[in-house]
Amino acid sequence: MSDVQDHSEFSGDELLAAEYALGVLAGPDRATAERRMARDHGFAALVAAWEQRLAPWAAEITEVAPPPDLWDRIVAELPAARAQGGGFWQSLAFWRGFAIAGALATACLGALLYFGAVTQQPPLIATVESGGRPLFVATIDPKRHTIAVVPAAYIPDPTRIPELWLIGADGKPRAVGPLRADRTVTIALPPALADEAKSNVALAVSLEPPGAPTDNGPTGPVIGQGILTNL
Amino acid sequence: MDLEANRKLLAAALARIGTGDRNALQTVYRLTSAKLFAVCLRILGERSAAEDALQEVYMTVWRKAAQFNAGLASPMTWLIAIARNRAIDFARARGSSRNTEPIEVAAELADDAPMADTTMQTAQDQARLHQCLGGLAERERTALRGAFFDGNTYEELAERMKVPLGTMKSWIRRAMLKLKSCLEQ
Repeated sequence: MSDVQDHSEFSGDELLAAEYALGVLAGPDRATAERRMARDHGFAALVAAWEQRLAPWAAEITEVAPPPDLWDRIVAELPAARAQGGGFWQSLAFWRGFAIAGALATACLGALLYFGAVTQQPPLIATVESGGRPLFVATIDPKRHTIAVVPAAYIPDPTRIPELWLIGADGKPRAVGPLRADRTVTIALPPALADEAKSNVALAVSLEPPGAPTDNGPTGPVIGQGILTNL
Repeated sequence: MDLEANRKLLAAALARIGTGDRNALQTVYRLTSAKLFAVCLRILGERSAAEDALQEVYMTVWRKAAQFNAGLASPMTWLIAIARNRAIDFARARGSSRNTEPIEVAAELADDAPMADTTMQTAQDQARLHQCLGGLAERERTALRGAFFDGNTYEELAERMKVPLGTMKSWIRRAMLKLKSCLEQ
């Protein structure tokens, strides 16, 4: 073709990067570019540079609000996405592990300091977990009849509230109170619940819609469980 | 909200998504979904396909946020690229882009609308790109528009502009080369 010298300044890589960023490739050519991006940082950087050059053009596109329920669809798909494998998930798991370890260390240290200072009676502790992932750490002060619950790896659900339950000797869940993802919640246990809060008793956390009644057990999914043990 | 505050907020939220924070994803969604939905809608042409694509866009954001490098790209550039690519994936999967109508090059002249959105891109970057696009031949600019906004492939563009595929490839390549050289000045 007569245009060869016109674009001879583009290396093969740069041309492929430009074509991918512009979006003109299809089929195997597009797949080739995506494979290169995944394993070749230099090539990925070429694509990113082209995306940066072209992105200001998108300012011409007038915003259109998506339907209100689209966010719910995305939230509904998140846990399934987390279960997928792949290189990225290993790195995410690594970082999440870091966050969990930090939160757990903080929770345990806090419990030790708190109870070491204020009580001689041994506190009860339970890690509410799901598949080995600690979601919350609960500590009960038997003297004060309070339960303090520290969030660990719980990922907040914007539409629902985590509710703590204590499974009574009759096997029925008793509502303890709502928890928070962002800070420790301390709840005073009513006498009936305080009497039941003993070693080897199970705790559970479910996700409840705001304002859901708690008289008859969880209405939403139970996301984790733990057993109270003496610290 | 000004551009710099927006950029910082988005970059911080992307970093938090990398640790599994759903609230951070919601922050990104609130700030960007109207723009990214419009990008998908422009490429796919109908709402239900654009909704499916947008869902995939935020799932991709959720999975890849840890890879976002604020030193290499602005958050909005990164997000727009994801939106365009997911929408293009949908378009390729169903066999064609929305807009494959023939293009009259002359009719595109009036279509170079002034850019107005300064909440997500700097006015300076927009002006610079616009100026460099203005330096291209009309047919080159028209072809690039079809690719960027409508998600057209080389083949679709060749068909829309009624030129052989080889000619379209050389137009696009030459235009991209000129664009890069102009933007680097």
